[in-house]
Amino acid sequence: MKQEDLDRPPVAVFTTCDTIDMMEACGAKWPEAHSDPQKMATLGCAQADYFGLESVRAGFCLTEEAEALGCPINMGTQRSSPMLKGHPFTYNPMKKIYDEPDNLPDIDEFLNTGRVKTAIDAMAIMHKTHGEDYVVIGGNTGPFTLTGHLLNTENLVYSVWTEPERAQKWVGAIAPYCKAFGQAMLDNGADVVQMSEPSASTDILAPTDFPVQSGQFVKDCLGGLKGMSILHICGDSAPIIPYMLDTNANGISVEEKVPSEKAVEIANHRGCLVGNVGCAFPLFKGTPEDVAAAARRSRDAGFNIISAGCGVPIGTPADNIRALVKAIKG
Amino acid sequence: MDEKVILKELADAVIACDPPRAKAAAETALKEGMDPVTAINEGLVVGMGVIGDNYAERKMYLPQVLVAAHSMYEGLDVLIPAIPKDESLTSKSAVTAVVQGDVHDIGKNIVKTMLTASGFIVCDAGKDVPGAEVVKDMLDNKAEVVCLSTLMTPTMESMQEAVKMIKESGYRDKVIITIGGPPTTQAFAEEIGADHRDENAQQCVKYVNSRL
Repeated sequence: MKQEDLDRPPVAVFTTCDTIDMMEACGAKWPEAHSDPQKMATLGCAQADYFGLESVRAGFCLTEEAEALGCPINMGTQRSSPMLKGHPFTYNPMKKIYDEPDNLPDIDEFLNTGRVKTAIDAMAIMHKTHGEDYVVIGGNTGPFTLTGHLLNTENLVYSVWTEPERAQKWVGAIAPYCKAFGQAMLDNGADVVQMSEPSASTDILAPTDFPVQSGQFVKDCLGGLKGMSILHICGDSAPIIPYMLDTNANGISVEEKVPSEKAVEIANHRGCLVGNVGCAFPLFKGTPEDVAAAARRSRDAGFNIISAGCGVPIGTPADNIRALVKAIKG
Repeated sequence: MDEKVILKELADAVIACDPPRAKAAAETALKEGMDPVTAINEGLVVGMGVIGDNYAERKMYLPQVLVAAHSMYEGLDVLIPAIPKDESLTSKSAVTAVVQGDVHDIGKNIVKTMLTASGFIVCDAGKDVPGAEVVKDMLDNKAEVVCLSTLMTPTMESMQEAVKMIKESGYRDKVIITIGGPPTTQAFAEEIGADHRDENAQQCVKYVNSRL
């Protein structure tokens, strides 16, 4: 994280990594592990306990904050993530019918609600059991993505074209919740906050829109945190890597859609670089040899932390995760 | 008014991402006695094709595509009811769905829009759709194309299951199956028995049209 010279980079998954094999091995399973702090901590630590990764991480989805702010949720099964079933606010730019962000919950109340509190509590357990030897990572959701969960992402994105100031007003109103959640996890034992902001990827927003619609608010969330942070954005993030680094996060996490060497060149040592072994391939569908080759490529290119490029698929073979670890640790 | 002028206005309204302008252009087309099918295919659809090409080339991004699609639908809402009942807009039928366990449907909605713009009648099964519902919609609509989408890696297994159920329905030989979404690859498409993995909506339309 500090970009110090080491004999090898750490191998630690900063994005989600909660496979069926891990659940079976540690006994803490979805969906219960989303809502029970002890089970969340047990599953979050399984990546170190059973695979030798040098990190422990929780939670396991991007719906915790949305639920605490009013989204109805289907909690899923052992094999499927929690899903949003609706949006608590009306935001229809086609019919020009909008709620204003005026009646949002008190932030302290938010931090004591549902699975937001579960994750905060899990950080203390993980810090106690694994904090001495492993980096404890608390995952949270970026402000543009969370706002989309609350309003309807498609409608929020639509309004980026028709009424960008209205979109910014909402994202700006939601950002303090993201910051407070991150700080609460750090205060309770996390070493790093890893914020995922997938709805601001270049598959959705124009690179030039990123700093205005998402980046400035991510900076509010991460830049002022008392503790370390990593910003993850999916897809081909090459055009926005400089903007991601402008958020004052300590580092950024990128997918394999950005070639490793190109990511290192663009980042230009402005922050810690995390990634970028492909999740669908090679981690999920490739062989251990494929995984090892991808991990070595990230290492040789100069990534500071070797990690999956995005969330590890739940059915990823244990041998492939072990191959990721072995390729780096030897 | 010259038919070419009206057709250009229909296309330009979509390209300009201007829903009221597209609606007004469609009303003008009908007022001037233009064949609504011509207004759709040589006006609105041409405009949406330009948008799709620009999106595929990353010259435009999703906010513009969504507003352009809304513009096209505003025009379609005026023109489709004016099509004489014995005149068919198209004979091509497609089913679109986000597979079970996933609710991220923006990409699927763009595919639906571009298929519509290409002359398909699209049965949109929605999001979080079980394989059995995909099969039912496919059979009910005698679909020639099924497009499956997922944004997330955990739900790639649901995609595999949906394709398996299509095979088990006995209808596999009559339908083109394409898949899409960030975690999918052509190798994954081949592994699960789909025909093609689409990089984007425009590529999807080009592929299925090349096969029909």
